[in-house]
Amino acid sequence: MMRLLKLAARNLTRNLRRSLLTGAAIAFGLAMMVLMITLQEGSYKEMLRSGISTLAGHVVIEDPEYTKEEEPEYVVHDVAALSAKLQEALPTAVIAPRMQVGGLLTSPTNSVGIGLRGVRAAAESQVTDFDEKVVEGEWLDDADDRGILIGVAMADRLGVGLGDKVVFMGQSRGGEVESRLFRVKGLFRTGGAELDSFVGMTTLGPVQELNATPDAAHQITVHLQNPRAAHEAREIARSVTPAGLSVLTWDEALPDIVALIKLDRVSADVMMIVIGLIVAMGVLNTVLMSVMERVREFGVLLGIGMRPGRVATLVLAEGLVLGLISTGVGIVVGLALAWPLVHYGLDYSAFMGGDTMEMEGIVVSAVIKGAYGWGRIAQYSFGAIVFTVLSAIYPAWYITRLEPVQAMRNV
Amino acid sequence: MAIVSVRNLQRTYQQGTITVRALNGVDLDIDPGEFTVLMGPSGSGKTTLLNCIGGLDTPSGGTVTVDGVELGALSKGALSDMRLAKLGFVFQSYNLIPVLSAYENAEFVLLLQGVPPAERRERVLQTLKDVGLEGLGDRRPSELSGGQQQRVAVARAIAGKPALVLADEPTANLDSKTGHSLIELMKTLNEEHGITFVFATHDPKVMDAAKRVVHLVDGRIETDERR
Repeated sequence: MMRLLKLAARNLTRNLRRSLLTGAAIAFGLAMMVLMITLQEGSYKEMLRSGISTLAGHVVIEDPEYTKEEEPEYVVHDVAALSAKLQEALPTAVIAPRMQVGGLLTSPTNSVGIGLRGVRAAAESQVTDFDEKVVEGEWLDDADDRGILIGVAMADRLGVGLGDKVVFMGQSRGGEVESRLFRVKGLFRTGGAELDSFVGMTTLGPVQELNATPDAAHQITVHLQNPRAAHEAREIARSVTPAGLSVLTWDEALPDIVALIKLDRVSADVMMIVIGLIVAMGVLNTVLMSVMERVREFGVLLGIGMRPGRVATLVLAEGLVLGLISTGVGIVVGLALAWPLVHYGLDYSAFMGGDTMEMEGIVVSAVIKGAYGWGRIAQYSFGAIVFTVLSAIYPAWYITRLEPVQAMRNV
Repeated sequence: MAIVSVRNLQRTYQQGTITVRALNGVDLDIDPGEFTVLMGPSGSGKTTLLNCIGGLDTPSGGTVTVDGVELGALSKGALSDMRLAKLGFVFQSYNLIPVLSAYENAEFVLLLQGVPPAERRERVLQTLKDVGLEGLGDRRPSELSGGQQQRVAVARAIAGKPALVLADEPTANLDSKTGHSLIELMKTLNEEHGITFVFATHDPKVMDAAKRVVHLVDGRIETDERR
C-alpha cells in the first residue's frame, strides 16, 4: 500500500502546477472553514458564557412551573438554608439566588415599566460582569436594601440621576399592590437596549418583600469553576435539593440558546457541504484530466498484469494523497490565521457602535475571541479528504472499464 | 507440450458497416524456448495475433491456450493474474512508467507478484545487469536513450520470470545499431536463460535472428519456417 501511495504521490508531480492549484483550492477552502468555525465557536462560547452567567448558571434550581412560564408565584423557599447546603456540597462554586418582579418605576417626572432583579450583590459580582458595566455610582451592597441600579437609558427617561429617589410599584405573589422607595445607587450601560431600558437591579431582600415571599427566590444559580463538570454538579445539587424542585444544567435551562446554536451550526454545515461539492467538482476535473492523459499508461499497467481494481485503487490513492496533503496544509494555514482571533479576538465595536452588542437578547462583548472547534475542524478535515477521494471515484471506475489493447492504442 | 496453442483463431472488427477480418482461422503451436517471429505486411494480423496470445484482446472465435490455460475461460481479473504470472511484454514505444526509475520499472512486476523485498532487489539488479543497464537503475526513462529505455522494458518483461515474452515491434523506434544490439540481447536471454520470445515485426534484422518465422497474410498463416 505504501508503494501505491508513493507512486500516487509521484503521479501528482507529473503536472505539478495543476496539482498545486487544485491542492491550493482545497487547502484554501479548508483554511477558510477553520477560520469560520473558530469565529462561530467563539461567538457561541461568548453567548453561552453571557447566557450562563446572567440567565441560568451552570446548574439552576427552580420550581418546575417557573421553568415552563416565568410567573412570580413559582418560587423556591428556604433559600438561605438551601444555598448553604449547596455551598457545602459544592465548595468551589458560587451560589447566586435571584428573584425578579415586574412593575412600574416612578420618578417625580415619569414612570416606566421595569423588571426588577433581586440578587446577592457579592455573589453576582463574581459571576456576571454587571458590576463592570456601572458607569456612574457604584455596585450594589448586600447590606443596603434601598439602593437600586438602573440603566442609563431608563435614568434618562425617568429624568433621575445618582442619589435620586424612585418608587417601585408592582403586584406581589398574592395579588396585593406593593410599593417600595429606592435611591439610585448606580447607573449601568450594558449596550443591550432591553437591559439598559427595562431592567433594574437591587439586593435580594427588597424583591423578596415586594413579592411577599421572604427567604425565597425564583432561581438559585450555581456557577462552577469548571463548566464541564455541570452534569456532575447537577447530581450533587440534586442530592441536597428538596424533592419537587427542578435541578437543571445550563443546556436544559437555556434550550432556546442551545437550539439556536445547533441550528446555526447545521446551517453552516449545509453551506460547507455546498462549498465542498464545488471544490470536489474542481478536483474531479483535475483527476479526470490526469487519468485521460494517461489512458495508454493505464493500458500498459493492465497489460503487464495489474488487476483493474488495483489500477483503480492507484487513481483513488492519487485523490487520497492530494486530499491528505491539501487538508494538512489547509488545517495549518487555517489554524495560523485563526490564532490571532483566539488570542486577541475580533473587534466588532466599529460596526456595533459600542464595546458590547446584543446577540439573541444576550449582551456580549464586542470583542469576540475565537475558539477552536476541534470536533468540527476534525469533521470538516475528514470531509475534505472524503470529498477528494470521492472525486476520484468516477475516473477510477472509468479505468476499470478499459480494455488493455484499446487503452494502449490511445495516444 | 506447446507453451502456446492457438486453434482456429478468428478476430473480426466492425468499422462502421464494414467487418474487418484481422485473423481468419489461425492455428499455431509455440514450444518452450522458441525464438519466433510473426512477419507480415501492415494489416496482416500479426499484432492482433500477439495481443490475442497475450490476453490483451478478445478473439471472436477459436481458442488460445497459454501454458495449459485456456484464456477464453478466464475472467478479467484472472486474465490479469495470468499475464502477471506467465507473460512479459515489450512494446514498440517502450511504455515505461515515467515517474519511476529504471530500477523501479523493472521492479514493478515483482511488486505486483508479491516477491519478498530481498529477493526482489537481487532479481532486479541481476536483470538490469543482464540487459546491460548496470549502474543506471536510478535514472528515470526521460534520462535514458531510446535503446536504454527499450532495455528497461525488456528487463521489466523478464524480471517476473515469465514463461513467454511477447514483443510487438520492439525495434521500430530504434536506430539500426541499437535495434541490432537489442535483438542480440534478447537472443542471448533466449539461449542462456531459455526464455521463449514471440515477436511481431517486419524488421529483417529480427527475422534474421529468429529460429522460426511465421508469415501472416490477410489474417492467415501463409508460411511457417523453422531454421
